[in-house]
Amino acid sequence: MAALKRVQQWATFARVWHIFDASWQNPFESAQVLKKYLMGLYKPIYHPMNECGDHVIVINSADIALPGDEWVKRVYFHHTGYPGGASWTLAWDLHKKDPTLVLKKAVYNSMDGNLQRRYTMERLHIFPDSKVPGALMKNVSNQIRQIRPMPKRLDEYTEKEVKEFPKIIDLPKDYILR
Amino acid sequence: MNTLLKFNWQGLIKAAFPLRTLSLFPKLQLKEIQEVQEGKSLIIKGVNVPSGREPFLLETENELCPICSSGLEVKHTDVLIISQFVRSDGCMLPRRVTGLCRRQQKRMSILVAMAQKAGLMPNLTPATSKKDPKKRFGWKRYNKYFDESTIKIR
Ligand SMILES: [Zn+2]
Repeated sequence: MAALKRVQQWATFARVWHIFDASWQNPFESAQVLKKYLMGLYKPIYHPMNECGDHVIVINSADIALPGDEWVKRVYFHHTGYPGGASWTLAWDLHKKDPTLVLKKAVYNSMDGNLQRRYTMERLHIFPDSKVPGALMKNVSNQIRQIRPMPKRLDEYTEKEVKEFPKIIDLPKDYILR
Repeated sequence: MNTLLKFNWQGLIKAAFPLRTLSLFPKLQLKEIQEVQEGKSLIIKGVNVPSGREPFLLETENELCPICSSGLEVKHTDVLIISQFVRSDGCMLPRRVTGLCRRQQKRMSILVAMAQKAGLMPNLTPATSKKDPKKRFGWKRYNKYFDESTIKIR
C-alpha cells in the first residue's frame, strides 16, 4: 500500500506530457479539452495559485477542420496602434500564413486573462505536421483522445471494400452507365 | 366476415391479364457505352453489363423507399453509402433512377454536396477536376465538416 501511495504521489506532482492529433478536429472544441490538461484542472491538487499544469504537444495542426464556411466567416482583428492601422484577417488567410496560429489563439482565448496565462501557453507545443523533435517526443506518456472521428475518403477504401459494402439501391434495367 | 365480403380484385386482374411469357423486345439490361479504336475506325457500342450490386442488396420489408425502410440515418462522412447515389462524375442521380421518396432524395442530394465540399469523394469528380482537395482554390482547400442537423427539409 505504501508503494502504491508513493507512486500516486509521484504521478500527481509530475509534469505529464500529452500528445494530441489535431487533424480533422475543430480548434475551438479542442481548446476546451486542451486547456484542462495545460492548466491541470483534472488534478485533485488543482488550485489557481498552484502551478500544476502539464505539457501538451499538438501535431497536424495544419489539418484542423472548421464547420461549414467558417473559414471565411471567422475574422481576426489586429491594430498596430497607428491611425488607420486596423486590419481584419479571415481565418483561412491566417491559417495560410501560419498553420499553428488558429489553434494557438483558440487555446489562448479559451483561458481567463490572468498572469498565469502566458506561462500556461509556454507549455503548449504546436506542430503543423507530425514531425516532432525527438527531445520532446521522448517525454510523452499519454495521448489525448480526439473529439470527432477522422473521416475516411472514398479513395482510401480498397476496391473490394467499396464493391462488397451492402448496397441500398440497384441501378434500373433501362439505365445507361455514365 | 370481412374476408368474405372483400372482393378478390387481384385474382380478377390476374385472370384478365395473364403473365406474358413471350417477349417481343430484347430483355432490358444495364448498359455501358464503350469506345473502341480499331485502326482508323472508332467503334461505339452499348455493352450489357451486370451492375454487380445484386448479391449485396439490402432486403426491404415494407413498401417505403429504400432509405426509409432501412431506417438509416446517413451522415455526410458515410461515403460508402453516399457514393451509391452518385454518377462517375460526382453528380446526384435523378429520382427516377434512385427510387427514393421526395424527402430522402432532397436529403441525399444535400449529403452528396456536403461530402463533395469536404473533399471526401475526390475520385468521383468531373474529368476536368484537380482531384486532390488540397489543390482547390483559396479557402476551399482547408478541411471542413458539416452538421447534418442544419439540413432543413419539410
Ligand atoms: Zn422515403
